[in-house]
Amino acid sequence: MKKLILTGLTLLVGWCSAFAQLERKLENENQPVDLIFHAPRHINLLTVEPLEKKSMHFAIMHTFGTLDGGVENLFGLDNGANIQFSFEFGLGDKLSLGAARASQDKVYSVFGRYHLLEQTQNGKMPLSLSLAGGTGIITNTYDFLPEAEQPVFGDRMTYFGQVMLARKFSNKISFQLTPMFAYFANPLPIYQIEGDQNFYLALGMSGKWKVTERSSLTLQYIPNLNSDLSSNFGIGWDVEAGGHVFQMYFVTSQALNEPYLLAGGNGVPGEEFRLGFNVNRIFALGQKKRSY
Amino acid sequence: MRWFLTAILLGVISPVFSQQYQTKKGEVTFLSQAALNEFEGKSSSLQGLIDLDQNLLDFYLDLNTLDTGIGLRDKHMRENYLETEEFPFAEFTGKLSAVQKPEPGKVQQVTAIGKFKLHGVERAVTVKGTLNPQANGSLLLEAKFSIVLSDYQIEIPKLVFYELAPEQQVSLKATLTPKK
Repeated sequence: MKKLILTGLTLLVGWCSAFAQLERKLENENQPVDLIFHAPRHINLLTVEPLEKKSMHFAIMHTFGTLDGGVENLFGLDNGANIQFSFEFGLGDKLSLGAARASQDKVYSVFGRYHLLEQTQNGKMPLSLSLAGGTGIITNTYDFLPEAEQPVFGDRMTYFGQVMLARKFSNKISFQLTPMFAYFANPLPIYQIEGDQNFYLALGMSGKWKVTERSSLTLQYIPNLNSDLSSNFGIGWDVEAGGHVFQMYFVTSQALNEPYLLAGGNGVPGEEFRLGFNVNRIFALGQKKRSY
Repeated sequence: MRWFLTAILLGVISPVFSQQYQTKKGEVTFLSQAALNEFEGKSSSLQGLIDLDQNLLDFYLDLNTLDTGIGLRDKHMRENYLETEEFPFAEFTGKLSAVQKPEPGKVQQVTAIGKFKLHGVERAVTVKGTLNPQANGSLLLEAKFSIVLSDYQIEIPKLVFYELAPEQQVSLKATLTPKK
């Protein structure tokens, strides 16, 4: 008996004098995963990557002429670029509103993104889910047409909507599925689109394979679901440099906004690839020191 | 035999009333002073325990709580540098130099020798600081030290060499209250 008490006491002493280390605990167990994609844009498609409240995402996007002209046309760079300027402002951590202007048909558009679900590191939420939608107006002038054939305001409207489902499968691989639609109020042949339907359905796919700490191989495939237009395909390279994300890619279409991506038509991958280039920059507004 | 038991009992009882102090809201700041850019990251979630009987201390910080004021920079910091998904904590466990009985107003210089762990790398470090006993019985601990990122296998790409300092200045300030 005495022995038992002694043993017990000795154990107790040992337990008490052992320095109790603090238990390591995460402040937020449901810590969201960081950077499923490098930027709110991935080649041409919007992503689930949210903007912080009071921050602004500025993207300059270009696509040039087709590569098949060879060096004579400097691989399409001579053929003029479609350029889109896009500004997106984070109203809250989940909601952002943006405006963009693409030079192709001089389309001005407004759009919004809302983030419903965010993938967490502990896997309790296995994926991120965001919604996006917007409307655009084709402002090109068609003075060469007889007055009666010129598009009126109602003919110039475009709309799009999409659901973005994304998952970071590992530190290296992320994938996003984007069921999307586009609607042209009146798909006139004078617009730089190949489709003649009003309504387009497609399934966007975006992939990222992180090759080094700060750069990734990127993929985009947007099969059309309700038209016989060929599908958009893009392959590129993202580079993170401080607050900038540079995106260089080859893509089958010159289109930069969603309705044109679906209705614009595409060249043959490889043969009619075009060089594309995006610069993404995020500004933190309302901060004393904005530079990053 | 009886005196032996009593001694053991005393030994058991005394640690229970040991002088342990704890914090859950210590402040940590790191300052990065590079040629082209200077920025700070802050957290108010430093967790710490000091045992004045055994002169031991144990601190850790959830690195996800560090905030540099720019969301994207925080994400890059977590994803590319600290790799917080794999290594979420910075930890220090060590021994404290002999500490006198805390008396309010009597500031003591202290030295902690122990192991600092960051980004999966553990190194022996010595940190100097001050222990300032407060009138309400709590301890105010302040310390400053620097972290050479390459010591912890955190590489700075050449592209951002002018924007991120290879050596980060860390300061911490924590009020530790007696543990019940």
